[in-house]
Amino acid sequence: MIGLSHYLTLSAILFLLGVTGIFINRRNVILLLMCIELMLLAVNFNFVAFSRFLNNLDGQIFVFFILTVAAAEAAIGLAILVVLFRSKNSINVDELDSMKG
Amino acid sequence: MLENYLPILIFLLVGAGLGGVLLLLGFLLGRGGKDAQKLSPYECGFEAFEDSRMKFDVRYYLVAILFIIFDLEIAFLFPWAVALDGLGMFGFLTMAVFLLLLVVGFIYEWKKGALEWD
Amino acid sequence: MEILFYVFATVLVGAAIGVITARNPVHSVLYLVLAFFNSAVLWLLLEAEFLAIVLVLVYVGAVMVLFLFVVMMLDVNVESVKSGFTRYAPVGVLVMVIIAVELAQVIWVRHMGLRGVGELTPMPADYNNTRELGLLLYTEYFYAFELAAVILLVAIVAAISLTMRRRPGLKAQDIARQVGVRREDRVKLVKMDAEERQ
Repeated sequence: MIGLSHYLTLSAILFLLGVTGIFINRRNVILLLMCIELMLLAVNFNFVAFSRFLNNLDGQIFVFFILTVAAAEAAIGLAILVVLFRSKNSINVDELDSMKG
Repeated sequence: MLENYLPILIFLLVGAGLGGVLLLLGFLLGRGGKDAQKLSPYECGFEAFEDSRMKFDVRYYLVAILFIIFDLEIAFLFPWAVALDGLGMFGFLTMAVFLLLLVVGFIYEWKKGALEWD
Repeated sequence: MEILFYVFATVLVGAAIGVITARNPVHSVLYLVLAFFNSAVLWLLLEAEFLAIVLVLVYVGAVMVLFLFVVMMLDVNVESVKSGFTRYAPVGVLVMVIIAVELAQVIWVRHMGLRGVGELTPMPADYNNTRELGLLLYTEYFYAFELAAVILLVAIVAAISLTMRRRPGLKAQDIARQVGVRREDRVKLVKMDAEERQ
């Protein structure tokens, strides 16, 4: 029987893969954004699993709002990325060091 | 509830199975080795001049973003439409305010000319 | 049921590994699409059918297409971006091990006091997840719902002001003005006396 801990374990694995991806793809901003999407997916997994196992729909409502905000965030984040690429002609994280402080 | 989704599972299995079988058949029955000439791209006898992956115009990007926003709006409309008989006047007005806010955005993008192609 | 969970979970983890290790960003995006599809199936197994459909509709249908657009549009040189692959790997492995230990501690060792939650009862065939969500979303959570509209509005304004630019000097055809033209705009009849021969 598949229990709550199966889903939590799966989501933990997904989250770890997302964190690892951020470390090994430190150069490319697009890949960083995709790893963040992966981590968000893991979080949503937890919400859905808890919502189902506790028989409480509030978790699913929360996931719906997370999806909304994440989509808006991805859209604006990628828009900033496009503008950045237009002005610096690169999306390498190491080259984005012109801010002093 | 899940028994309603059995056709989709069968569809997935048939799709994956058919794809796998066709790939396997092509792998087993295909003749001849793949040499460099066979794998090279053919462009009127010349070497390929440039990379075949070309850059997209930025204007597609704006269309894609606006599509995401209104896609989400549609996603919010579905549960409302299904549950409308149990929601009463309050639920109706809630959605009216939601749509009003997005219509403001729609008018903004129309007046800004974001929907014009050139 | 159990075999379905394990099959789709395996593909999901494999796709996630593909996302973070693929050398070509386009392949990463496609692996992420596969991961979202498998998550949708797993959410369906949890009987969250509306969210599963929304995940496919919004994420696979719109957000990943946007990612694909950006990857194609920026056309970044693959090799130059990937060259620092192993430089931060030790730190990454360290952080990953720490988080893994913490999560294992939480999930398996402490069990979060959830020992009684084990069993799932399947929903009846006429259970309507979408309707249940709707009854909750538009009444109890209406404030958050209106805030979502405001966030979407902000996203529209931000996207337009960030990425739209006017090109001056563009010569475009205005069909409405072409069709709506009158004779008086184009032809001017002038009445004048005949001129004397030079």
